Amino acid sequence: MSKKTDLSRRRFMGAAAGTLLGASALSSLNLNAAPVKNQPKIDPQAFSSNLLETDVLVIGGGMAGLFAAVKAHDAGARVLIVSKGRLGSSGLTPFAKGIFSYDPATANMSIDEFVAKVSESSLGSSNPVFTRQLAEYSKARVEELKSWGFFDSALYNNSFMRPIEARGIPLHERIMITHLLKEQGRVVGASGFSLDDNRILHFRAKTVVLCTGSGGFKSSGFPLCDLTHDGTVMAYKIGAKVTGKEWNDGHPASAVNSGSCYDNWHGQVEEKPNITSVDIHHDLGVDMNYTAYVLGPSSQGMGPPGGPAGKGPGERSDGPPSMEQVSGGPYVPEAFRRAGGPPPMPPQQSGFLAGLFGDKKPSGPPGMQGPKVGGSSAGMAIHKSEGLVPVDETGLSTVPGLYAAGDALGSYMSGGIYTQIGSSLAGSAVQGAIAGEAAAKASQKAKAVELPASKLAAVEEEILAPLQRERGYSPAWVTQVLQSVMIPNFVLYIKKERLMQAALAYVEELREHHVPMLLADDRHKLRLAHETENMIITAEMKMRASLMRKESRCSHYRLDYPEVDDVNWRAWINIWQDEKGQMQLEKQPFGTWPV
Amino acid sequence: MPIHEISGCIGCEACVKSCPTDVIQMDRERNKAYIAYVEDCQICHLCRLYCPVGAISITPEKSIPVMVSWR
Ligand SMILES: Cc1cc2nc3c(=O)[nH]c(=O)nc-3n(C[C@H](O)[C@H](O)[C@H](O)COP(=O)(O)OP(=O)(O)OC[C@H]3O[C@@H](n4cnc5c(N)ncnc54)[C@H](O)[C@@H]3O)c2cc1C
Ligand code: SF4
Ligand code: SF4
Repeated sequence: MSKKTDLSRRRFMGAAAGTLLGASALSSLNLNAAPVKNQPKIDPQAFSSNLLETDVLVIGGGMAGLFAAVKAHDAGARVLIVSKGRLGSSGLTPFAKGIFSYDPATANMSIDEFVAKVSESSLGSSNPVFTRQLAEYSKARVEELKSWGFFDSALYNNSFMRPIEARGIPLHERIMITHLLKEQGRVVGASGFSLDDNRILHFRAKTVVLCTGSGGFKSSGFPLCDLTHDGTVMAYKIGAKVTGKEWNDGHPASAVNSGSCYDNWHGQVEEKPNITSVDIHHDLGVDMNYTAYVLGPSSQGMGPPGGPAGKGPGERSDGPPSMEQVSGGPYVPEAFRRAGGPPPMPPQQSGFLAGLFGDKKPSGPPGMQGPKVGGSSAGMAIHKSEGLVPVDETGLSTVPGLYAAGDALGSYMSGGIYTQIGSSLAGSAVQGAIAGEAAAKASQKAKAVELPASKLAAVEEEILAPLQRERGYSPAWVTQVLQSVMIPNFVLYIKKERLMQAALAYVEELREHHVPMLLADDRHKLRLAHETENMIITAEMKMRASLMRKESRCSHYRLDYPEVDDVNWRAWINIWQDEKGQMQLEKQPFGTWPV
Repeated sequence: MPIHEISGCIGCEACVKSCPTDVIQMDRERNKAYIAYVEDCQICHLCRLYCPVGAISITPEKSIPVMVSWR
């Protein structure tokens, strides 16, 4: 066959395969199909179950998990990493390209000044202990990354594998952890299942570092569809306190092909990472939601991202139109307003990207040219503002033996707002290292606890339940309902009492009646079923916390309480499950640790 | 179509491992990767970038309706 005919034949087959795929995609979604008896393609009875042992179990293979494993190993512990996706190719880490390094030799402010300015921008919602930690240790972590070849490639798997292989740390990829195990008042391991074969895995550990990142509602246009706050929900279920659910990340998407992460971010994933330095902003995002709410969607661009005047891409004479001025909306502290310009704007990487914008091809986050739609990261808060409540600077949670780091830890490193470009990635590295080392030390004092067979059997039952049910709801359909309830601008972003109460009623219905009837007919759907449950619990947390915070601050905006309330609300909100399984909420004053 | 076509696959499995949302699977008999759950493709291009032989093509449209905050 000549090369030419081969090619055209391939193209033809591609087109045919495409059509077929379209049809099968719809049928597998079950959105238009009649309900049928669930007939699993795999046999739930055929699952094997294995028990693995370690001192420190690291869950998650992003920037935080990498450093947690390396530092726990270097502190003398036996370590094992387990991750739903591939190391450096899952979660948010593969898409972040700017990493912050505080270099005392070149920084334009001292660490004290840095901590104070972040606090000023975040209206007091930052935790200075974690802001300081970021500044103190970011350079050391960046230097280590450099030595592993991180800055030499746009793809991170190779450089992440280097220190893991050098230390011989066992790595289990494509295992979805669904349960944390607790015995005698402390965490003693975790359980999950393989995405590739019929295996359930139990891990027995003396301490656990949760590096499972954040999550969202499988919204479109922001690459976090693999994350559904699994770690946070698992920890919540064993009694850990969780925080930060009222804050919102406000990334928009392009109105054209809103679902394409790659195009929304202008192909940024193909760029090698680089280092950012001190440049503190007040980058909201939710102000764009407010403008769209008040004036209606714009057929124009929504203006440039924030940043000091003169540095944003909007300052270019050929730049996109500025965002319309509207009255009201989220409060921006005086020092962070742009003189005569548009209010500070979203994505956290604006300054870094502004640099890229000047002379290179368009690159970086949405928010620049062309009409925008909202909600691309719906369900995710500001990085580091949500996750487990720390009881100290190591990221220890309220459950003994359970640590968290990175996007899974509610460290409030920069509060309820984006303040420093590149700090999210650096923060995950810094916190991962500290939690890993602390978990290793704690593991030396802890004794291994037996995992009761009855407990493991009950966990296995719960893992496989969606495969066992004959009747019920497809995760795809339930997810679609959840998205329609939660993602609208007037529910999640421009908040008001009545609409949130309404959404909460839907979400409670989904949790009470639909979660127990989620179906799966293969391992992929099994994953979706567990993820769907986690999204629903997260949605409930988001609504309850947003209802409780009767003020507006940073990325939490209430139309019925538009002012910052410093008398009542210089406090974070913690959420936990009581003995009766009820969701409870409490205030924790800024600058304090949980009682 | 999001992930749209796999053509010229040498069966290395890099794309299966690199896809965060578990869209691609291996056809063990043919030793080739295939698109199993196209509706869950987030159009991030990691599979294409990790593929050593450039076998994967991707287009920017989602295969299912997209829920946004406003339009
Ligand atoms: C498009 C984009 C651009 C960004 N740009 C920047 C930037 O330029 N600078 C910056 O500082 N930050 C940026 N960020 C934010 C940054 O990527 C994150 O804050 C950071 O990477 C989080 O790292 P992490 O290790 O804490 O979590 P993640 O990288 O999200 O890792 C979570 C890990 O947990 C695993 N996991 C999840 N659930 C389970 C489970 N149930 N069982 C087992 N494993 C599980 C996942 O597979 C994954 O490996 C960007 C984010 C995105 C999406
Ligand atoms: S584009 Fe991303 S989500 Fe889609 S198949 Fe490739 S790796 Fe998976
Ligand atoms: S990465 Fe490329 S060559 Fe390897 S299995 Fe996937 S499509 Fe085939």
